[in-house]
Amino acid sequence: MKIGLKKSGLGSLILAAIALVGCLKQVTRSPSQNAFKQEESPVTITLSGWQSNPNEKQLLKQVIQAFEAKNPDINVKYEVVNSEYMDVIKTRLIGDVAPDVFYLDALEAPLLMQYNVLEPLDSYITPAFNLADFESSMLNAFKHNGKLYGLPKDFSTLALIYNKKTFAAVGITQPPQTWDQLIAVSKKLTIDQNNDQKTDQYGFGLAPELARQVFVLKAFGGQLMGQNAYATFADTKSLKGLQLVIDQYRRDRTSAQPTDVGATSGSEMLGQGKVAMTIEGTWAIPYFKETFPELDFATAEVPTINGKSGTMAFTVAYVMNRKTKHKKAAWKLIAYLTGAEGMNAWAKQGLALPTRRSVLARLGYNQSPLYAPFAKGAKYATIWQAGKNLPTVRMNFNNQFISALLGEQTLPQAMKKAQDTANREIYLGN
Amino acid sequence: MSALTKDRWRNRKAGDSLAGYLFMAPTILIAGVFLILPIAYAIALAFQKVQLLGDVSYQFTGLKNFVRIAQDDRVWIALKNTASYVAIVVPIQTMLALTLALILNSQIKGRSWFRVAFFLPTVTSSAVLTLIFMWIYNSNGLLNGVLSFLHLPTYNWLGDPNVALKGIMIMNIWSTAPLFMVIYLAALQDIPETLYEAATLDGASRWEKFLHITIPFLKPVTFFVIVMGIIGTFQLFDQSYIFSAGSGGPNDSTLTIVLLIYQYAFKNLDMGYALALTLMLAAILMTSTIIQRTLFKEERLD
Amino acid sequence: MKSLRWSTSLLYIVLIAYTVITLLPFAWALSASFKSLAEISAGGLSLLPKQLTLANYQTIFVQEPLFGRWLMNSAIAAISVTLLNLLFNSMAGYALARIQFPGNQLWFFLILAVLMVPGQITLLPKFLILKSLGWLNTYQGLIVPSAVNATFIFMMRQFFVNFPKELEEAAALDGLGRFGTFFQIVLPLAKPALAAQTIFVFMGSWNEFLMPLVILSDPEMFTLPLGLNAFKGQYISYWNYIMAASMIFTLPALAVYAFFNRYFIQGVAFTGGKG
Repeated sequence: MKIGLKKSGLGSLILAAIALVGCLKQVTRSPSQNAFKQEESPVTITLSGWQSNPNEKQLLKQVIQAFEAKNPDINVKYEVVNSEYMDVIKTRLIGDVAPDVFYLDALEAPLLMQYNVLEPLDSYITPAFNLADFESSMLNAFKHNGKLYGLPKDFSTLALIYNKKTFAAVGITQPPQTWDQLIAVSKKLTIDQNNDQKTDQYGFGLAPELARQVFVLKAFGGQLMGQNAYATFADTKSLKGLQLVIDQYRRDRTSAQPTDVGATSGSEMLGQGKVAMTIEGTWAIPYFKETFPELDFATAEVPTINGKSGTMAFTVAYVMNRKTKHKKAAWKLIAYLTGAEGMNAWAKQGLALPTRRSVLARLGYNQSPLYAPFAKGAKYATIWQAGKNLPTVRMNFNNQFISALLGEQTLPQAMKKAQDTANREIYLGN
Repeated sequence: MSALTKDRWRNRKAGDSLAGYLFMAPTILIAGVFLILPIAYAIALAFQKVQLLGDVSYQFTGLKNFVRIAQDDRVWIALKNTASYVAIVVPIQTMLALTLALILNSQIKGRSWFRVAFFLPTVTSSAVLTLIFMWIYNSNGLLNGVLSFLHLPTYNWLGDPNVALKGIMIMNIWSTAPLFMVIYLAALQDIPETLYEAATLDGASRWEKFLHITIPFLKPVTFFVIVMGIIGTFQLFDQSYIFSAGSGGPNDSTLTIVLLIYQYAFKNLDMGYALALTLMLAAILMTSTIIQRTLFKEERLD
Repeated sequence: MKSLRWSTSLLYIVLIAYTVITLLPFAWALSASFKSLAEISAGGLSLLPKQLTLANYQTIFVQEPLFGRWLMNSAIAAISVTLLNLLFNSMAGYALARIQFPGNQLWFFLILAVLMVPGQITLLPKFLILKSLGWLNTYQGLIVPSAVNATFIFMMRQFFVNFPKELEEAAALDGLGRFGTFFQIVLPLAKPALAAQTIFVFMGSWNEFLMPLVILSDPEMFTLPLGLNAFKGQYISYWNYIMAASMIFTLPALAVYAFFNRYFIQGVAFTGGKG
């Protein structure tokens, strides 16, 4: 493509480009437009989600194919959105080109449910579907004003994951069961191996984000949000819990953030041997098996704080676009994917736990030594969700919590600032 | 224009108006629909409280969104971050670009290779570049490795609020300077050799030639480089977003004004307010451009 | 140049040092693309992979059946956008710089105003406009909105401001109208500026991510950055795939630059001293 052609050369190239664009317009009419011209069946519906790792896509495609085999009159187009998933979905919803069925994280559900863009599923559910089989706390995350808007496909809780070798090296055989034990054990596990004044291994790997800390602030009776959907996490009860985290980091110096040790996540810190314990989700297990195969790790329930068990639960549901033109077909897809058979096929990969208790039992997650602590956590977990203002609250919390962690402010100061800013934004945004 | 007769002058004038618009036609059409129309829509929304998702509603609120700006702490933090960013990055990257262009325009051996090598950061998309830099800035990464090798202090580039923004600055200068270097290189080609030859005959030194021929000739291009530099840095988003995973942290230290706008627009779905902030940003940029325009007095058309 | 030898040597040292600093991150990224995730995550800064693996590239090329299609989509979009921009931006820049027509200043002002508004804001309105035109998931949706570029209209204007009037007058005396003057006299002499535009516009279109992300939902229409982003992963960063994808991605743009770079070399003999 040489520039500096004589006028005729350049001009004809331009014309060629325009003609090319024009031709392509004819050739590439989007498939859905073509499908629309045909009869009502076969029906094509679109399914959107993200993928947590490259293998996931293959697995989901297999499950979809099994569905299509059973429903020859339905075609499923799987469209992955891998970046800014919610931004893209929201934009497409605004533009009326959103997928028929899509993933929705519990965190984001309240906003969409409130804006009435999802189809309530209650009327589609039959007794045969066995709704009672679902873990009820996960279901509740997708209820709004008494209606059910999504069916959770899987969930993950947090559990304590620790390096058995490092534990044995300092003579510890049992994982800590209370938070006080965790603090004590961390001290033993924080080691400067070569005496160069730099800690080589920290006891505990810390994730300084609200998503991982809500259960901590609830331990002494604190609440993240109040009755009227405003943030209340700066009250003394919440602070009591959070102070434990700050103290371990600042005073004991036995915990570390990922950026401190050059990692990008708690799992990575544990895998690289930079920390001896961390609290992570089920996704860590396939990650360790694949990326750090030599790591000798074990899991346990999150240590109790103030005598109370607590952990976080993250769940994602399939939801139906209220404006879909193929409600029956969309429902069939959702029903299959969250039915016993579909969920069983999906949950085999071990990235997250199935939300149906029967499938959980059948796949043996209750007994598996690695997964059992996660499964047990489902009973007392706090779901990562808190109304439509949570994103605002989370952003402000994360912002200031780090500041307290770094010692720039005291915890009460930082949290008050975060709470006030969040509440002001909530107030003004309404 | 004195060579033309009066008649031809009048015809030329009328022909000029037509020609002008014909030349501008594609731009007017395309920019009108895809650039100006969206902006007009955005301006309209800035004066409203709008809900676009679900049951669409518009509610005229006048200046309420703008009053809110004055009371919003995070806006001022973002402006301060962005302003200090601009004040440091633009001069450095402009001078670096000019210096590199001058050096690479001369008879240095291997200048083609240097030009290609230097341009590598610019040719890479900013997303990819930021990811690469996340690794380099890793506490155990390349940069700290080199620093400690040289017995210089190391930092937690990603986690320490005091250095996070500086880390982004370094990355930005390094990746954007070559872009302006290329533009300066192109501009340097257009300076007629005859001017330099005449000056040499007059006994001018190299420095005098530079000051009196090169610099004035580069004025229009420098105007472009600085205006685009300011606009670009004021609109810093990608690096800040990837660096802080969208939060602008730690502790708002990497919060830039566009990141803030994005948070309001897409996270809170508070479109009206986000667009009011955008108008404020546009006003700031417009003012700065006008100021520069008067500083860089241009040759007017005859 | 009769510069002192030590200052030239110093210059070379500085240039080479800067080159090393510039190339090091890419050397690292390139080597990472040949490592397994385990090796990357284990830490360490080695430039040579302990265990060189082609698996990352294999996964991207082979496992992803649409890779060739994405490459083609990106190429079609980038080439079309570049050609259209070269023509339209130069025409507009020339008009703004050299032709006195009513509204000249106004249009320049509007062009500058367009630049002031960040792209994230016009994303939603542009999306809605494209949707109402029925251009989502189409090539024209990717190409037409980017067929002119305010930045480069501005740049071309600045280039043309200094254009010698004598040449235009001579052309006028020869009987060439504005269009003739433009295409036969002005444009050929603007090669360096056009080369610069080619590089930047191509790069911009090639690297464009946000707009295609929003307007393209059909995987067959994805452009390369969109498709390659699939390898990022939700909770964990798959650095090995990310780096491999980044390498695949950057090389064509670099090739375009290396090719057009020659148009800056021919100016060296032309301008003489570096000043």
